[in-house]
Amino acid sequence: MFLQTLITGLSIGGIYALMAVGYSLVFSVLNFSNFAHGAVIMLGAYVGLALATKLSLGFGLVLAGSIAGAGIIAVLNERLAYSSLRRRKAPSLYLMISAMGCAVFLENLVYATIGSRFYAFPEFFGRQVVTLGGSSISLLDVGAFLFALAAILGLHLFINRTRTGIAIRAGVSDMTMCSLMGVDLDRLIAIVFLLAGGFAGVAGVFLGVKYLVYPTMGWVTNKAYIAAVIGGLGSLPGALVGGLLLGIVETFVSTYVSSVLRDVFSFSMLIAFLIWRPNGLLGRDSEEKV
Amino acid sequence: MNALRVEDLNVHYGTIHAVQGVSFSVNEGEIVSIVGSNGAGKSTIMWTLAGVVASSGGIVEILGSPLPSKPNEVVARGLALVPERRRLFSALTVEENLIMGAYLRKNDQKVKDEMQRCFQLFPILRERLKQRSGTLSGGEQQMLAISRALMGNPKILLLDEPTLGLAPLIVETVMETILRIRKEGMTVLLVEQNATRALEISDRGYILEAGRFLKSGPGPELARDPEIQKAYLGG
Repeated sequence: MFLQTLITGLSIGGIYALMAVGYSLVFSVLNFSNFAHGAVIMLGAYVGLALATKLSLGFGLVLAGSIAGAGIIAVLNERLAYSSLRRRKAPSLYLMISAMGCAVFLENLVYATIGSRFYAFPEFFGRQVVTLGGSSISLLDVGAFLFALAAILGLHLFINRTRTGIAIRAGVSDMTMCSLMGVDLDRLIAIVFLLAGGFAGVAGVFLGVKYLVYPTMGWVTNKAYIAAVIGGLGSLPGALVGGLLLGIVETFVSTYVSSVLRDVFSFSMLIAFLIWRPNGLLGRDSEEKV
Repeated sequence: MNALRVEDLNVHYGTIHAVQGVSFSVNEGEIVSIVGSNGAGKSTIMWTLAGVVASSGGIVEILGSPLPSKPNEVVARGLALVPERRRLFSALTVEENLIMGAYLRKNDQKVKDEMQRCFQLFPILRERLKQRSGTLSGGEQQMLAISRALMGNPKILLLDEPTLGLAPLIVETVMETILRIRKEGMTVLLVEQNATRALEISDRGYILEAGRFLKSGPGPELARDPEIQKAYLGG
């Protein structure tokens, strides 16, 4: 029971971490909470769903298609809704309001076109389980966790080792100086949104396969926001640690205390962190991020 | 040829007329200083030349062609700015700051050679390579800021208050470095508030007051001008 709960917690935590990474990336570069991130996750799930049901593609191609689709949607979202505000150096509150507007718009667009039905992905993996120490463990859960871990590690290496990654971190430190090094900021920000969108696509497919696909599924990013705050907004390792921690805590509360109290617990954690440790577990004490 | 040619430049910040019809030029291989008190508009001119602040009128030409409108395009034309207070990427290491300076250069070997050149100018940077730049001393940060600008192999170097807050010995190092890179062919536009030393090493100088030029002339001559000494040079 304990092991099973832990694995379930890690897999949910892995999905939270994937979402939190996208949040954190955008937050650290543009300094606002991108509330449209949930809508991009939702659209990524629909892209994956379309590929799986209409074209009957396998899981790998569905995942790749969803990554590409959500990435492109995130870039378009930035171009249409944020870039003009950004160029006018608008306060981040304006960007946040614009992001909320996008979230509402995209959700209702799905309601109006696809409808409010709940869809399920075809069974990619069946209900494969392995029995370990008396508890049955879903392979999907283990796979989701490992994939999330690998993707975030890959992003970490990209951010720290490549020229573009260094430029992203330089932009986090000082946008104007970054452009004075010859960096085209519009292009750099497009890359950031492409990455955040790609991660949203992965999260969308995993969520859809594990649960269902529906227009408001993106609101689960509330949890990603909590995870990002716990880990330290703007910190990539923080997003991973925060996501896993939240996933595990939630699963244990549901299993051993009460599933009704799960969200009460999560949001209490958010409030506690905001009051006593607003920089999160791995956030720097200064204003520097990533 | 003029490396920089500025004619009747005007810059507004909202309703504030920060630069009021300034004209000047910098020839290739020259060191030119702009001197003036705090708030005279010196930094505004620098940010405008770098493409960060938009002018509200006038002509700016860099190496004979009009100034592009985006900072990254200005950099690509061969202009580099070392801004006031250095503005290093403080969370990045010294090495990463230098790599950023060479962002537009795709040849890795050239980047490595350029880094070696910076170490010749400032040997201390080699020892600090893996250290976060925010942890450097003020003098080291200024050396890194200049090196970061040089990494892009610019033709024109803009230095805004490069000696601000530095110990006298470091000020001397910075001034010698400016002379040394000029000897290698660099064009330098220098802005200083404490101006004696700046004017002494400059071919020409301009005195800026409330957004307008009051006076111009050969640097050492301006440095000796009693009127200017009284107003700007603290003595």
